[in-house]
Amino acid sequence: MEMNHRAHDMDRMEGHDHSKMEDSEITSWKRKLVWSWVFAVPIALLMLLDRIFGYNPFMGLVGAESYMTILILVLAFPIVFVFGFHTMKYGLKGLFTFYFGMDSLISLGTLVAYLTGVFSLFFSIVDYSGVSGMIMAIFITGKYVEAMARGRATREIMKLLEFGAKKARVIRGKEEIEIDVAELKIGDIMIVKPGEKIPTDGIVIKGESSVDEAMVTGESIPVSKRKGNNVIGATINQEGILYVKAGKVGEDTFLSHIIKLVEEAQSSKVPIQKLADKITSIFVPLILVLAFLTFMDWWLIVGSLSGAIGNAVAVLVIACPCALGLAVPIALTVGSGIGAKNGILIRKGEAIQTMKEVKTVAFDKTGTITKGKPEVTDVYSKVRENYLLEVAASLEKLSEHPIAKAIVNYANLKKYSSVKNFRILGGRGLEGTIGKKKILIGNRTLMKEKGINVNLFMGKLDEFENKGKTTMIVSENGNVIGIIGVADAVKEDSFEAMRELNKNFRTVMITGDNERTARAIADKVGIKEIVANVLPEQKANKIIELQNSGMVAFVGDGINDAPALKQANVGIAIGSGSDIAIEAGDIVLARGSLLGVVQAINLSKATFSKIKQNLFWAFAYNVVAIPFAVLGFLHPIVAEIAMAASSISVVMNANLLRRKKI
Amino acid sequence: MIKKTLSIEGMHCASCAGNVEKSLKSVNGVQNVKVSLLFKKAEVEGEQLNEEEIKKAVSKLGYKVSAIK
Repeated sequence: MEMNHRAHDMDRMEGHDHSKMEDSEITSWKRKLVWSWVFAVPIALLMLLDRIFGYNPFMGLVGAESYMTILILVLAFPIVFVFGFHTMKYGLKGLFTFYFGMDSLISLGTLVAYLTGVFSLFFSIVDYSGVSGMIMAIFITGKYVEAMARGRATREIMKLLEFGAKKARVIRGKEEIEIDVAELKIGDIMIVKPGEKIPTDGIVIKGESSVDEAMVTGESIPVSKRKGNNVIGATINQEGILYVKAGKVGEDTFLSHIIKLVEEAQSSKVPIQKLADKITSIFVPLILVLAFLTFMDWWLIVGSLSGAIGNAVAVLVIACPCALGLAVPIALTVGSGIGAKNGILIRKGEAIQTMKEVKTVAFDKTGTITKGKPEVTDVYSKVRENYLLEVAASLEKLSEHPIAKAIVNYANLKKYSSVKNFRILGGRGLEGTIGKKKILIGNRTLMKEKGINVNLFMGKLDEFENKGKTTMIVSENGNVIGIIGVADAVKEDSFEAMRELNKNFRTVMITGDNERTARAIADKVGIKEIVANVLPEQKANKIIELQNSGMVAFVGDGINDAPALKQANVGIAIGSGSDIAIEAGDIVLARGSLLGVVQAINLSKATFSKIKQNLFWAFAYNVVAIPFAVLGFLHPIVAEIAMAASSISVVMNANLLRRKKI
Repeated sequence: MIKKTLSIEGMHCASCAGNVEKSLKSVNGVQNVKVSLLFKKAEVEGEQLNEEEIKKAVSKLGYKVSAIK
């Protein structure tokens, strides 16, 4: 209860600029909609009574017809010119400036229809003034429904934009004060209570809790945090109080990066859209010409002025550039929104189109398939294991190498022996003395160089190395006392991800490791092919070679991977890595898991097939409906209903993407 | 290359967005234009950008530039 209450409090503290904008659009359409129908319903009733029963409220009076027309003109006026003011304004303006839009078609259609009512008082032509009111009312209704559906489509992304915390509680001097997040400085100590958002990225210095990171990484299980752990701004603290030292603020935070990526994606284009864009750009003038030809044809050849007006209006209002223009972006937006919710950031719309052509998925090894942090996996000792570790860790403590860190972490000593004459033997190992004992730690080459006999350990050395481990040999006064196997552990879910990927793709691992280590890891996770001994700068060239047999997606994380990510047809960057790789990726995974690759592929395919469906229906609709209107088979009101339905259906169809399990 | 982001009010269909794009492209110095109908934004890129001219290109079509940065 307390927690909910707090969450609410925090919510209230935060602004909702974006959804406000969306809401105000929806409210304004809704108001117009209600009022339009207040006038449109009587018009509809009058028209029906007249059409079906030949009933006219002014029956019996002289000029009953004219009275009826005037009544409808009065009722239709506010719909067309007041509630439809904006549409009329933009539309008519467009006609004069030659920047035609959807509004131009509707405004011209309704204006012509309305004027027939005025003219019918003086000349003998059919009165379409009631129709004009109905068209505008239906148009407004369609826009309202569309705005709602569009709001749904952008929901996830809007949420992301609003997700950051607005206030932070920090310690200044001895006091605890509340400040705006914008005022936070690096090094500030923030106090985060249960249920609150962590204001910005930082490191925990006191306290223990678990944090819900779902919104930024897609990881649904809260992650436990204690002293020394990094936390991401905008994630939600669950049960304990955390003291967090701010590490990144403003535009440098993880959330800011994610938002930037998602925003970029919205204005990126999917290649298939080009055709739709081209058609949309010439669509309206084309329809204007077509409506004019329809009018002339019916008037001069068929000889019916009324038919000419009715059919020309039908052509104007049935043509729907909206459905065409929205088909691609709306699906892309829904798709990238779903992605963002799951920690998959689609940066380039192009990637989702390219993805379906991809034949090969290539992976970097360290940090992508593996955790990127070596761990001690095996210890084989001729002496007491604790003693071996004590000796090894005391020396390794003095080195910065990742393998050294792994050994130190594994030994987890309370106290280290003091080491004298310490020396790092570049790329081969370490040496130093503890008490009177001369200690040497290193690889086979080093032992050979120092003339130390490793024959007794040969079997174990081969065994470790065949399993893909790096081995460290520890010797004391010239005798080997044990060996330590270190390996970069494979991420737990890499196995499952590979199983899925192997069903549809050729999988390849590219690594700087030697053939034997690479093979061992590839076999373990189930990768079919390896390219070993690749220097970082050669990775991009290897991608080019792989591209000889079809499109390649490359998954990587480090700075070294940037050229390869760019070279690949689709670059998938693992986001917890460096920023440069994020910049180079077409798709960025906020969470390090390789299952994200499977999800990203599924999402891309689902989104692209939605895009194709939408384009097909939007094209088909216009191609079928317009000729019908030209030939006079459609009443203008029916035409307008069909038009509204077509653009709504495109948006709704895109929203169906949500149902797809990725 | 300078980049400016415009928030635009009043665009509610694809041809509106197309018109805004066309109009912005015709402004002197503008090299790249991306319009997002859904997010009511436009991104303009160019070596030299005149904010007033950019605003005018949008407002002459009847839409409003509510923010530019």
